[in-house]
Amino acid sequence: MSNDMYATALKDTLTEIQKMCPDIKYSFIFTKDGAIIAGDGEADDTLMEKTVHSFQSLAEKAVVIGELDGLSIDGEKGKLRISRVKELYLVVKASPHADTTYLHSVTNVIVPTVLKLLEKIAPTPLKFMPSKQLIVDPLTGFFTGDNVQIDDTQLKEWSQHFDGKDVNEVEVETIGGKKTRCGVKKIGDAKQQGKGLILIPEKTCRALEAKKGELVRVKPIAS
Amino acid sequence: MSARNKPEEEMPAKNKPEEEVENLHGNLKKIKARDGIIGYILRDPKSASVDIKDPSKIIDYAILSSTVLDSGAYMKNTFELGRVKHIVVEGGNLKVLSLAIGDHRISVFMDKKVDHNAIYKNLRLK
Repeated sequence: MSNDMYATALKDTLTEIQKMCPDIKYSFIFTKDGAIIAGDGEADDTLMEKTVHSFQSLAEKAVVIGELDGLSIDGEKGKLRISRVKELYLVVKASPHADTTYLHSVTNVIVPTVLKLLEKIAPTPLKFMPSKQLIVDPLTGFFTGDNVQIDDTQLKEWSQHFDGKDVNEVEVETIGGKKTRCGVKKIGDAKQQGKGLILIPEKTCRALEAKKGELVRVKPIAS
Repeated sequence: MSARNKPEEEMPAKNKPEEEVENLHGNLKKIKARDGIIGYILRDPKSASVDIKDPSKIIDYAILSSTVLDSGAYMKNTFELGRVKHIVVEGGNLKVLSLAIGDHRISVFMDKKVDHNAIYKNLRLK
């Protein structure tokens, strides 16, 4: 079973849960690594990414109380629940008067059941490659080539996810939704390493309409 | 009623914030004495009170308390949750209840079995 099918199965599950519980405004699932697997289609990408980023920052500080199991926020206009389901986190935004005990029992029965079923169908754990947000720094000069450059440590981390396969290509997506696929190599200039940068040839920057200092999402593609 | 008399009539109101702070401190002390409560951090713009059972973890708890409230504010805006009543963060061993009452930012650390809704109600008592 491909990652896409796995994601589709979970997406359908979230959609069905929403039909059962109209109090749910939207929901999505991400991994501990921060990869967004599936959403019910109501939450946009930016919102999901912001949430994951914020939750991961919190998870780093929460070590003192043990590995993060969940977060709940009760507001006057809505409720937010992020709960751990095995190795995944389920995010649910519900209306302010939603019966959270009921929501919890539904989501924490149905989602684990579907996951268990998927594990039976595809016993090898599927790996979702976490995308990374990096800061654009245009590459100028005659010999810049067509490749983008990012930190070697990041390339090695992705390589580990791909069981040691080299990452030679990445997909770069701007906040505006423009995408391109291009070759990647490590940052050569030591002064620019470790800063969370992606050095993008000027020509590619123009095509993406990406400016210096902007954030882009970068997804690895293994060779 | 003359305008001149107004400030005198409103004198008790000037003491209200102080009373609220005293109440809050009193409530937190009572809560701290309960079974399963690890401690609390109370911060306002000028000062902070910390009462944690294990002093070696005060800094870690303080950082977590601040991060929880900051993340809560961020998520509140992202998800349009309106005014936040409380935030609960559950870890493998413990959980934290965080909330703001006026200028006061409170985090209560407790065992997972403790009913945080009961603690929240106690804190909201005037």
